[in-house]
Amino acid sequence: MRTVDTKGQKCPVPIIETKKALRASQKGESFLVLTDNKTAFSNISRFLNDNKIKFSVLEKSGEWIFNITNETGENITTAAEDYCSEPIAHLEKGNYIIVLTSDKMGEGDEELGHLLISNFIKALKDLDRLPQKMVFYNKGVTLVTKNSPVIEHLKDLEKMGVELLLCATCVNHYSLEASIGAGTLSNMYTIAATMASAGHIIRP
Amino acid sequence: MVEQGGCSSKIPPKQLEEVLRYLPIAEDPDILVNIDTQDDAGVYRINDELALVFTTDFFPPVCSDPYEFGQIAAANSISDVYAMGGMPILALNIMMFPASKLPVEAYSQIVKGGFDKATEAGVKIIGGHTIDDTTPKYGLAVVGFAHPKKLTTNAGAKPGDILILTKPIGSGIILAGHRLGMTGEADLKEALEYMKLLNKSGAEVMKKFGITGATDITGFGLAGHALKMARAGNVSINITMTAVPLMNSTLKLVDEGCIPGASFSNLDYSETDTDFSADLNYNLKMIAFDAQTSGGLLISVQESKAEEMLSELKSAGLNMSAIIGYVTTRKEKLLYLSS
Repeated sequence: MRTVDTKGQKCPVPIIETKKALRASQKGESFLVLTDNKTAFSNISRFLNDNKIKFSVLEKSGEWIFNITNETGENITTAAEDYCSEPIAHLEKGNYIIVLTSDKMGEGDEELGHLLISNFIKALKDLDRLPQKMVFYNKGVTLVTKNSPVIEHLKDLEKMGVELLLCATCVNHYSLEASIGAGTLSNMYTIAATMASAGHIIRP
Repeated sequence: MVEQGGCSSKIPPKQLEEVLRYLPIAEDPDILVNIDTQDDAGVYRINDELALVFTTDFFPPVCSDPYEFGQIAAANSISDVYAMGGMPILALNIMMFPASKLPVEAYSQIVKGGFDKATEAGVKIIGGHTIDDTTPKYGLAVVGFAHPKKLTTNAGAKPGDILILTKPIGSGIILAGHRLGMTGEADLKEALEYMKLLNKSGAEVMKKFGITGATDITGFGLAGHALKMARAGNVSINITMTAVPLMNSTLKLVDEGCIPGASFSNLDYSETDTDFSADLNYNLKMIAFDAQTSGGLLISVQESKAEEMLSELKSAGLNMSAIIGYVTTRKEKLLYLSS
């Protein structure tokens, strides 16, 4: 049986390790977590109870041995996705939109272009004001596929309230209907209206 | 400098309550705010127009840079005067420093950080005291002025009021996460900037709106301090956790299990008086109890003025201010947390 030894570690490390072990475990699998810290024992117990995770704990000369079973096999990642559908109150949005017309940024070296557009999208989250919307057309729609290097960042932006609009004609043209990982399909009228009403438009 | 804990270094609230039970309460009609309402500061009436606000706070380093630590500790100490509706005027340095272990340069940087932040607040530091100790700790004792009839106390929240929070929360989680290498410099920097931010502009807006009920969010977490307000005012407080502004990566860190020990102590202290809605996500629940260092103001404002106040706070630069809940008449529990 896998054993996670957190002896000598203080909170929150034992909880982090417990959670990691839960995520890595299969349905029905059990594993042990050891701690020699009373606070950690109390907090781990609390954590497991609150998350309705089956466990038993044994105390032996100042050490606690948790026997934890991943009953549901849900891998607490579902908890993460539960709240991920909620908009996260974060940054105020600015009166502008970003239009992504390609999977590259700038003219010149192709590989550099791919790197730049990735960095650009990653940098957006750190802006003081996020765009209202991001519009993707032509090769730009490939940025929103499930295996795109920036898909997680785009999903984060979506959670932060940025609307991602994808040109449906383009998605169909590149046969990406089944591979889209975020955003909503849109039509040229909506895209044109979005551009016309934006305060300003950024095209990286 | 070894970072240790900021307001997470407070004694667990349950234990503190036990200890304070033995502290006699001074009686004097001029004491306007005393220990019994567990408010942000003590207030003493001088005459019809003037009251003194008196408070202190100090703690071990929350970051590795001594200057930044000094700034944050000073901002945190001064904050309690703002939270009472007062204007901070004078302060004394309180310093514990391991002179044999740390270079004197660190000491001077801490004190400089404190001085610069105090100057920003218009506070003059006119003295202080230092002793040798195994770990460094710094903060201020602060005196401020307030109008006796215009205080914002823990007891001033009224049923029907809307609650506004002026700074995002998550600093305890991010500090712990950074210590463990789970989050990067950018997120730490964001957290430190919020901790350094004085509650001065928030207090100025509060004054404009004649606010009677407010507190600042520090070591007992958003839930702990909201609970104190509910208890003091004999009202109930509802908080919608998805409306609460969070610092970057707070959710991600909690989801990975980065839940500081202080969160559990705060939960322990608050849970008998708190109702947790069935839909309350576990991570958001634990974030409610995250001990904050130098957090924002939690303001109770009349419903009709809430939008206007929110707009003024944002114009004053507090662009993360948000409406996070409301106040009702006293119900079975003091605090209601939902998702």
